[in-house]
Amino acid sequence: MTFSTLMRDEAKNIARGLQQRDPDLLDRLIEQYQFRLFRYLVYITGDKARAEDFFQETWIRVLERGHQYDGKSKFEAWLFAIARHLVIDWQRTKKAQSLDALTDPELEKPLQIPSENEPSPLHQVLAQEREEDVQASLEKIPAIYREVLVLRFQEELQIEEMAGVLSIPVSTVKSRLYRGLDALRGALEGGWA
Amino acid sequence: MSENVHTRALQLVAKGRVEGLAQLESEWLAAHLQECEFCNEHARQTDRALRSLRTAAIPLPADLAGRTQFRVRLRAMELRERQPQRRMLWLACAASWIFGIASAPYVWRVFEWFGHVTGAPKLILEIGFGLWWTIPALFAVLVLLLEGAGQAEEPEWMKPGR
Repeated sequence: MTFSTLMRDEAKNIARGLQQRDPDLLDRLIEQYQFRLFRYLVYITGDKARAEDFFQETWIRVLERGHQYDGKSKFEAWLFAIARHLVIDWQRTKKAQSLDALTDPELEKPLQIPSENEPSPLHQVLAQEREEDVQASLEKIPAIYREVLVLRFQEELQIEEMAGVLSIPVSTVKSRLYRGLDALRGALEGGWA
Repeated sequence: MSENVHTRALQLVAKGRVEGLAQLESEWLAAHLQECEFCNEHARQTDRALRSLRTAAIPLPADLAGRTQFRVRLRAMELRERQPQRRMLWLACAASWIFGIASAPYVWRVFEWFGHVTGAPKLILEIGFGLWWTIPALFAVLVLLLEGAGQAEEPEWMKPGR
């Protein structure tokens, strides 16, 4: 049995479980995707507390709209699309802030990730320092580029899958990736100099 | 080496990371990077940037998964409780329509009598009779709209100044 067959079977099982609103399946999926979904939400909202709210709301939507997932695409692509739509809906309600940062880089808000106050061992501190460097560099990148970078290089989605998540043409995904990559390299270059 | 060669090399460095390279492109780039320190350094920087992005970790808030699982289970219970109510609504509508069909001749007599007493034109009576049939449907629509309005209300977590 090939890896792709296994993945397809897994997607079908998830689709079946979601149709039945299987609570055990949902528990497992929340555990399994918690890090990836939360990271994606932090990157696109630029706010950890807000990302936490969207995280919970995304899973509520998964429960409510699970019957819409057909198992033909990767579950994570569908999950990220739900999360993204929630964020965009919320941005649209925030007219005063004109928070369409995911569609207009000029209106971008800097990424704000509050530092963790929890005590941690030395290696965690060092790792966190490095992470903070990366976060500080990412702040300089507009959200639309940050988002594609995260989906491609952290979540390792295919470009076609990203086009589905973002509801944009493949060519636009590619151009954003090229610009994002350039911006990321430029932003991190300053940190290494 | 011409400017175009370096431009092509830098484009291929990016292309290789974003969508992958064809065999010929890959071989050409590898040969160029061996000769050109500038492009080679650019490729290294790109890889370092991507490595940093890939390994960047964002700590999860305490018990995020547990709290979410709890909320999801609560919502699932709510949805399960609502299902029989929804079934009851459709059953009531269906019963009402069946009863309506069965009682149509009698209802029409009532309308006729009402027309006779009030002197209302036949057209008005016919429209009234037609509308009488829409009452169960209107009731069902009203219930569904109320339910939808309840769901559409902005949840507490979305309100500003939390």
